[in-house]
Amino acid sequence: MGSVRMTQVTALVLRAVSAGYHYGFDIMDACGLPSGTVYPALRRLEKGALLRSRWEGEAEAHADGRPRRRTYELTAAGREGLAEAEAKLAEMRRMLGELPPAPTGDA
Amino acid sequence: MRPSSRWVRLTSVLVPTDLRAEWIEEWEAELTARGGSMTYAWGAIADAWYLRTEGWTMDAMVRDVRTAVRGLARNPFFTGLAGVTLAVGIAANTAIFSVVDGVLINPLPFPEPERLVSYNHEAPGLGVNVPLIPHSQAMYLHYEANARELEAFAVVSNSNVNLVTEGDPQQLSAAVVTRRYFDVLGVQPMLGRAFVEGEDRPGAEPVAILGYGLWEQSFGANPSVLGQLVELDGTRRRVIGVMPERFSVLNEELWIPMTIDPEAPDGGSLGLIGFGRLAAGATPESADVEMQELLMRFAAEHADELPPGVMEQAGLASDVKPLKEVVVEDVRQVLWVLLGTVGIVLLVACANVANLFLVRAEARQREQALRTALGAGRLQIARQYLAESVTLALGAGVLGLVLAEFGVRGLLALAPADLPQALDIGIDGSVLLFAAAISLASGLVFGVVPAFGSRRRDLSNALKDGGRASTGGKDRMRARSGLVVAQVALALVLLVGSGLMLRSFVALKNVDPGFDTEGLVTFSLGLPSAEYQEPASVLDFQRQLADRLAAMPGVEAVGMINGLPLSEAKSAGPMEPVEQPFPEGELGPMIERRRVSPDYFRTMSIRIVEGRALEWTDQADEARSIVVSETLARTFWPDQSALGKAIRSQGEENDPWEVVGVAADVRFDGVAQEPLPMAYQPVLGGNVADPDPTRGFDVVVKVAGDPLAVIAPAREELRAIDGRLPMITPRSVASIVEDSMAATSFTVVLLGIAAGVALLLGTVGIYGVVAYVVSRRTQEIGVRMALGAPAGVVLSGFLRQGLVLTGIGVALGLLASFGLSRVLASLLYGVSATDPVTFSATAALLVGVSLLATWLPARRASRVDPVEALRGD
Repeated sequence: MGSVRMTQVTALVLRAVSAGYHYGFDIMDACGLPSGTVYPALRRLEKGALLRSRWEGEAEAHADGRPRRRTYELTAAGREGLAEAEAKLAEMRRMLGELPPAPTGDA
Repeated sequence: MRPSSRWVRLTSVLVPTDLRAEWIEEWEAELTARGGSMTYAWGAIADAWYLRTEGWTMDAMVRDVRTAVRGLARNPFFTGLAGVTLAVGIAANTAIFSVVDGVLINPLPFPEPERLVSYNHEAPGLGVNVPLIPHSQAMYLHYEANARELEAFAVVSNSNVNLVTEGDPQQLSAAVVTRRYFDVLGVQPMLGRAFVEGEDRPGAEPVAILGYGLWEQSFGANPSVLGQLVELDGTRRRVIGVMPERFSVLNEELWIPMTIDPEAPDGGSLGLIGFGRLAAGATPESADVEMQELLMRFAAEHADELPPGVMEQAGLASDVKPLKEVVVEDVRQVLWVLLGTVGIVLLVACANVANLFLVRAEARQREQALRTALGAGRLQIARQYLAESVTLALGAGVLGLVLAEFGVRGLLALAPADLPQALDIGIDGSVLLFAAAISLASGLVFGVVPAFGSRRRDLSNALKDGGRASTGGKDRMRARSGLVVAQVALALVLLVGSGLMLRSFVALKNVDPGFDTEGLVTFSLGLPSAEYQEPASVLDFQRQLADRLAAMPGVEAVGMINGLPLSEAKSAGPMEPVEQPFPEGELGPMIERRRVSPDYFRTMSIRIVEGRALEWTDQADEARSIVVSETLARTFWPDQSALGKAIRSQGEENDPWEVVGVAADVRFDGVAQEPLPMAYQPVLGGNVADPDPTRGFDVVVKVAGDPLAVIAPAREELRAIDGRLPMITPRSVASIVEDSMAATSFTVVLLGIAAGVALLLGTVGIYGVVAYVVSRRTQEIGVRMALGAPAGVVLSGFLRQGLVLTGIGVALGLLASFGLSRVLASLLYGVSATDPVTFSATAALLVGVSLLATWLPARRASRVDPVEALRGD
């Protein structure tokens, strides 16, 4: 499927996954966003092939005495997308830094 | 099961089936990891909704609409019929709603309109038919000084003034207002200033504020008008301000200050309508409580004007309510009734279109079956039906909006003239929203029926026999019959309503108002008091005018009166017979008093029952002759002749009048109102010592031919006496009577149209169902007739079927009408809301019409040629 429009939410989710959070609810906590926001973002990113998901093995789950969970990880395209988003953000920061200082007063 | 689990399962129905199992597993696993807390579970619905709607891209919608349009275009007759039916229904609803919205829903067009109140009195004990009792000058001063619950208080009296500029003299509607009028409304002049303190006191320089329209038309929108002097009713007034565009409460065109002498305010006449702006934190209720206290105090301080007995008998009390309520009081009910009516028409139209869609669904059974066989889901097929119906409805909505634009103009032209013009009526955002909503809703309503009809379908049957006589048809037949029953019932409700209104209208038309309108034309005049100061000059003018007009060819009689019957002029006061005055503190009956010229009675064909009419010689100050109405004579002297008796304003000991004649009763307040007791005085009424001539009066002219043809020559005669007097609103007297019935005839016309449309649609519905059944069963009928069934049996079988549907519909409709006609009760005259004649006649009409609608196709069935029928297909 086509590309995914990068938003703050998708960028945050990608960042969380790249930082090592793989379960849906863990990503949710890492982003500090509600599940109703994070899950649709996960679906879009997966559909756009920036993420891929797989079910963890029964064995791992059973060892912990819980049902198996779905895990998400970055694809190559996801890593690229994240890098792009971060580069854009850095660029934005730089441009903001070069702005003349805000006029004095209550601005 | 944990609540979070239950929630996940519940929301999972939204998830597309192929993803559902994994979706549930994923959410459950995550929630388990969190101990099943509900806090995290809520997001499941957003996720499920996302997955459900993921495929619903704009592309898919466009595709649906395109398919729908193509489907509709393939069958232009069907589409046109359904579309126009719906468009008419939507247009009617939109047009009526735009009036309802403008009049009842939108707030008054002033800042913080919720703080505006009508601040007047009520007097239920007085027995006069007025919505409120206004203020005297003394009362105004009292409330103005003491009301704390009001931020600003003002009184207004409307009057007509003559403006003389270079061109023709103009008659203008003016509001005479107290100083804080504009503060109450919260609007200030766009140019110049509002009235200031002192400008409402005797001796102040006369000033005026112009309305925008007047400023534009008569002064070329020139700002230099400020400071200019204009001549109004013979007084030169300085223009101090111009109000912004569209500012007007009751269509007034300019404002002049009311002059009140605080040392000697007039206490006698209660004619000043009060309104106020509530202080911060005050409510109409709190202001009412305070006003009641202030009224008590006022009565205690002014026992001479308001004796305690009178207060008690009249039940005089404070009456504060939102201004909006007062402004729209008269039209509120008519409008809701109309909105309900057109709502029903729309329902009938929807039922009809749903029926058309069902027929079409029938015809397309093979196509649908094929699509199902090729793997289309039920939902997909339903979606296609809905796409078609909604597309059609929205198209009809657009057409309906265009029609509604014309409808609104037509409505406003038809509407009773007292529809408050300050209100904004037209197609605006909320009306558009309304139109879109009802279009969408009706699309869904009639789309759902065939969409669900498509659910239960035996696939192989449908493919096999092209849908003929299959079981799926039975469901649909039941749906169609149900729709027909609903249509008949709804049509009956509307027919009963319009029948009741029609009977009221006829009853009103047959009421004898007590005068003959044939050949009568009237116009009003207002003599400027500055130029006609002397009572003698007023009398002289009136005699001259009467003589000149009477001398015109074709004129039979000329009369004058200050306030024609049915023209809403009120001038009532308590009177008493001189020999049997009412005891102190008891209020005499309210007598409507008029000043009339001698020929008034002859002109209006009002019979003099006893004695004589007035004569010009009665107009001299000393001759104190008066004519009373039959009702008054009966009230005061039940068993004897009124002639020679003396009568006076209650308590006015040196103001006796001698009854010289008794005139037949006249309906003064309205055709539907019983005649009031009336007293007719000569034109120069008032006290002997202080004659008070009537400078504003209506002239009535009786003509042999066309009454309106006399207006132009009459204007010439008027000009010959005084070239600066405008002739005000010349019109036929018949039109005044018609106007007084405007609310009724307006409702009659609209309800009649609505009922006619409903009847037509209902009939088409019945016809359609029976005709359809006949066409489906041609083969079966052929077999039966070939086996020897007589045509009569076939015919009566179909008639029975139609009658059963009609019968059920009529029964339901009668029940509904019984409950609903009560809302009409206050609009009815001379007929009860459950009038058995109307109910049975309407039911009979509907049964007759549907019998005809059944008979036509049924006859075709009975004439089926068995050979043809069997050979067919």
